Amino acid sequence: MSPLLQGVVMILIGLSGCIGYFYVSNFVLDKIIFPPKLDDQGRNINRANLVRPWLFLLPALLLLSLYLIYPVVGSFYRSLFNRANTEFVGLANYGALWNDSGFRTALYNNFLWVLVVPAASTFMGLLVAQLTDKLSWGNVAKSLIFMPMAISFVGASLIWRFVYAVDPNIGIINALRDTVGLSPMDPLQLPFWNNFFLMVILVWIQTGFAMVILSAALRGIPEDTIEAAVIDGAKPRQIFFRIKVPQIKGTIMVVWTTITITVLKVFDIVYAMTGGNFKTEILPSYMMDYMFRDDGRATAVAFVIMILVLPVMIWNISNARKEMR
Amino acid sequence: MTEVSHMHLDGPRGKKPKKRLSPTNIMIYSTLFVVAAYYLLPLYVMVATSLKGMPEVRLGNIFSPPVDVTFDPWVKAWAEACTGINCEGLSRGFWNSVRITVPSVIASIAIASVNGYALANWRFKGADVFFTILIFGAFIPYQVMIYPMVILLRELGLYGSLWGLVLVHSVFGMPILTLLFRNYFTSLPEELFKAARVDGAGFWRIYLQIMLPMSLPIFVVAMILQVTGIWNDFLFGVIFTKPEFYPMTVQLNNIVNAVQGVKEYNVNMAATLLTGLVPLTIYFISGKLFVRGIAAGAVKG
Repeated sequence: MSPLLQGVVMILIGLSGCIGYFYVSNFVLDKIIFPPKLDDQGRNINRANLVRPWLFLLPALLLLSLYLIYPVVGSFYRSLFNRANTEFVGLANYGALWNDSGFRTALYNNFLWVLVVPAASTFMGLLVAQLTDKLSWGNVAKSLIFMPMAISFVGASLIWRFVYAVDPNIGIINALRDTVGLSPMDPLQLPFWNNFFLMVILVWIQTGFAMVILSAALRGIPEDTIEAAVIDGAKPRQIFFRIKVPQIKGTIMVVWTTITITVLKVFDIVYAMTGGNFKTEILPSYMMDYMFRDDGRATAVAFVIMILVLPVMIWNISNARKEMR
Repeated sequence: MTEVSHMHLDGPRGKKPKKRLSPTNIMIYSTLFVVAAYYLLPLYVMVATSLKGMPEVRLGNIFSPPVDVTFDPWVKAWAEACTGINCEGLSRGFWNSVRITVPSVIASIAIASVNGYALANWRFKGADVFFTILIFGAFIPYQVMIYPMVILLRELGLYGSLWGLVLVHSVFGMPILTLLFRNYFTSLPEELFKAARVDGAGFWRIYLQIMLPMSLPIFVVAMILQVTGIWNDFLFGVIFTKPEFYPMTVQLNNIVNAVQGVKEYNVNMAATLLTGLVPLTIYFISGKLFVRGIAAGAVKG
């Protein structure tokens, strides 16, 4: 366990470094730059207090600008160079992407993912949230459906690899086909549809998230609006679609966009299931194929992803800002 | 008192009205059945198969519970499963994950909580800019960060080491954690902070003696968010470390994908379940707080 000890020592050094920095900078500010001298004591104390928060935040600010500006600029800059990082090639990497049929497949598949997964997850989440609300064992069902959120994407993918396995002794799908008398097949090699078989995994994971958030929103709907609808003779379906859904539209949008962002960052599923073969490549996994082989192209893909995420990101950010104020 | 309880017992009389098996109910129950099969069947088959011996697996009947319960696959997955020439099973990956997770969680939470506190309580000019940067940092897609991070770690000489990965995880978790703490500290009554100021407490004293004792739940939420996030990470583990430091998820993927030898499905399933055991344990212990942690982490890019 010596690495743990090393860790503790490192943390102690870091913490004492921080405390030392704060103490020394405070001392310099109070005693040397703005000493509370006789004539302008009050003014100097005020001045020092204006500067002080910046002292505390300076390290974080430096780190963050390093963290934000350097990567974005650095990634873009790298994408303008060739594979060996020796020659400036302008936008040639982007041109090469456009002409690569693999990239176009990835783009098309990713488009399908963005179209299907957020919609399906949100729909299933809403369905489960609504249905389990009335059941006495609803909370048990919910905690079980949330469970996939706790395991890793890789773990979940491997679970589904066993579901899709060709051997009917292992794969659920083929075991079911076997009982009906059909010959075993590999769902992951079925052109076009294999994309959807992979999406099923992400929907399986993300439903728990959508369900939890939407179920809280459903509970937050004022009772009297529903009672009024009941008195007016609305049927359950009408109550759900005309009264409940419109009132939680905002939450539905948040869930939808959050899952959209997730879709654009998950590479684990495709990587663990097919490795991008059988035309199942999506942008994040396509990028990983080129990572370390051709960094110029990989960073170009990263930038394409960034541009695709940008609209959703801005929507989410403005939303978060409003909420946190 | 007795009168009241008596009144309660004296409820409505007569036969209980029979529940009708209406079409709506049938629809609800059949939907629930399909949903349950979709979400739970994979998990059930995993658990059942991981408790069967290989001869029993080959017999088929994947839906039947194990006749002869054996824990051998679990032991084998933990200690003996092979990836290439290395046959230490998941245990090595497990300890690597512990060594990665513990320091990154402690470091990121310690720094983020102080930052969040400064941002929430010590209002100052420029806090707005800082806040915006934080939000952007939380939402920016991680793919843009990978290449610069590799360069940075190479410069620092940490590339491929355990500490490099710890640094990456700490930095990546920082924006979202700072926002989490900021929002919590903003929700605390400001009078407490002001009273402490009037009484002459300084920056650290207020943090340690006033804020910390009141913010246990948010620390737990932050810990859950970080522990599960880092434990479940696969990508950074592959990119930023060498095979000897691979975390558990990467080790798991390599074990399941190992090509040599006979495929032992029960061992593979046990290995998959073992890897999920840490976050699942935390989930079942912490319940609602876990959901909050996951929801908070879901928004980051």
